Amino acid sequence: MSTATSTATAATATDADGDAILTVRGVRRAFGGIVAVDVERLDIRRGAITAIIGPNGAGKTTLFNLLTGFDRPDAGAWALEGRALEGLPPHRIARLGMVRTFQLTRSLGRLTVLENMAVAAQTQPGERLERALLRWSWRAEERRVAERARELLDRFGIAHMAREQAGTLSGGQRKLLEMARALMTEPRIVMLDEPTAGVNPALTQSLLDHMRALNEQGMTIVFVEHDMDVVMGISDRVVVLAEGRVLTEGRPEEVVADERVIEAYLGRARAPAETPAEDGDA
Amino acid sequence: MEFDVIFGNAARAGLGPTAAIFALAAVGLNLHFGYGGLLNFGQVGFMMLGAYGAAVVVATWGGSLWLGIPFGLALCVVFALALGAPTLRLRSDYFAITTIAAAEILRLLIRSSPATDVTGGPFGLQTIANSFYALNFLPDGRHGLGTFSFSSNQLWVMLVAWVLVLLCSALVLALIRSPWGRVLRAIREDEDAVRSIGKNVVAYKLQALVIGGVIGGLAGVVEALQQSGVGSENFEPQVTFFAWAALILGGMATTAGPVVGAILFWFLREGVESFIRELSTQSWLPDLLADFLDGSEGAISVTFMGVGLIALMALRPQGILGRGRDLHLGT
Repeated sequence: MSTATSTATAATATDADGDAILTVRGVRRAFGGIVAVDVERLDIRRGAITAIIGPNGAGKTTLFNLLTGFDRPDAGAWALEGRALEGLPPHRIARLGMVRTFQLTRSLGRLTVLENMAVAAQTQPGERLERALLRWSWRAEERRVAERARELLDRFGIAHMAREQAGTLSGGQRKLLEMARALMTEPRIVMLDEPTAGVNPALTQSLLDHMRALNEQGMTIVFVEHDMDVVMGISDRVVVLAEGRVLTEGRPEEVVADERVIEAYLGRARAPAETPAEDGDA
Repeated sequence: MEFDVIFGNAARAGLGPTAAIFALAAVGLNLHFGYGGLLNFGQVGFMMLGAYGAAVVVATWGGSLWLGIPFGLALCVVFALALGAPTLRLRSDYFAITTIAAAEILRLLIRSSPATDVTGGPFGLQTIANSFYALNFLPDGRHGLGTFSFSSNQLWVMLVAWVLVLLCSALVLALIRSPWGRVLRAIREDEDAVRSIGKNVVAYKLQALVIGGVIGGLAGVVEALQQSGVGSENFEPQVTFFAWAALILGGMATTAGPVVGAILFWFLREGVESFIRELSTQSWLPDLLADFLDGSEGAISVTFMGVGLIALMALRPQGILGRGRDLHLGT
């Protein structure tokens, strides 16, 4: 039955609105009896910064995992620029231009910062085993890759660490490196899972500035965030998830004024006699 | 106490064909685990297929050794694919358990009675390397000094074996320094991060498993050449762990580590064994102790290697050539 649903919705997922880069239709994922994600319809606008917010356990990271191929939904369809993505493994989705970062940074510790960047290039033919020993066939590209990597490292202010092993970077520098590495793949859309989690206020500001600058160059950005101040300051669109569903979607100022959003975050206003257990249902 | 005899024995073991065989096996493991993070506990399975592939073609089917060797290595490729395709998607501990089981299953199959017509079963296969020794251009007689001496044919196997060690080490070094190797090292650090930047992680791991496995297969071929035959008792699980010991001793993820480790492993093992053997003949030793030592040199030597490895883990966990700071940078 689930396959029937997924093929039925597949047609609509590729049939996108004019300005949507990513379209999601009926994506559903349950863990046992708990429905973690049940997104009926979601369109991500091209060239916009979209924040995905919601209380803990709302399914934000699960949705990211599903859309980027790191987890498989029980049903549903989604498409990047009209190209259906359901069933594709994560590396194929990344190659099609949707690249993600992780909530806990994933730097490649024993590789140098420059290697962390270079490995993300999509254009290096020497990554194919049959070309690996033919040094002449990939040297020129290797120089171009290194040049592009240095430009990006420069932009993120960590070029002076290029020769150091990534494991020696500070937590904040790793965040920057991970963002730079994602860009090294030349994506069409970047999905940042809590880019400011565990980061000091100064660096948070710097990360947001980078996101804004990228966006001004035309990059579509989707990010998961807890901090409402951050969301208000930077996003064009806000999607609110609660219990796996899209509660509401709109401009940041619309969303914060929405009663349902306040309810989802703080619980419904009730008589003081209500027990805490019932608050959890809100 | 004849220290020249002890040293001669130790040096002969450290430079002999057995050390070269384990160096090859460890070079393969180094690509698997040192660079790719693949916990292969079944390297002996690859050695067995290399050795038996070559031996079966010659002894059972009456073919040429020069067809047998590539046949054995081809079996290693098949084994790697069969082993890796279903398990490399899983977490690394599942893969590790599968490798050790697969190698042991393979050994039991080879020595089973239904397989006797092909593999010789418990009797193994003999006289398979005549065409290899026919190529020996070294002069006859013994070469060397005292106990540190080799026959012409032994020297010929050693020469070929150590040349293979050099070639395989160079191959691994070249691969690791290529963009392909960079992806492999990245996978060792964090698979999901590498997936997220568009690399087919399973394909890279499978390729590394095949290449390191074929190098292990070469180790088996040399073993078959050295003995001019094969027997399943030479491919018990501890062979894998001796190769691991050599790799850990020399230093993971270094080019010379597995080679230095294998030389040192066999040098020390034979040195200790020879020392105990000498010791048990000393007249000043109480009879009881001398009787105990006599005949248990091998066991004491292996115990010593175990204690030595524990000490190494405590004092220099990165091995002799490894980089200490790398231990703290893993993710």
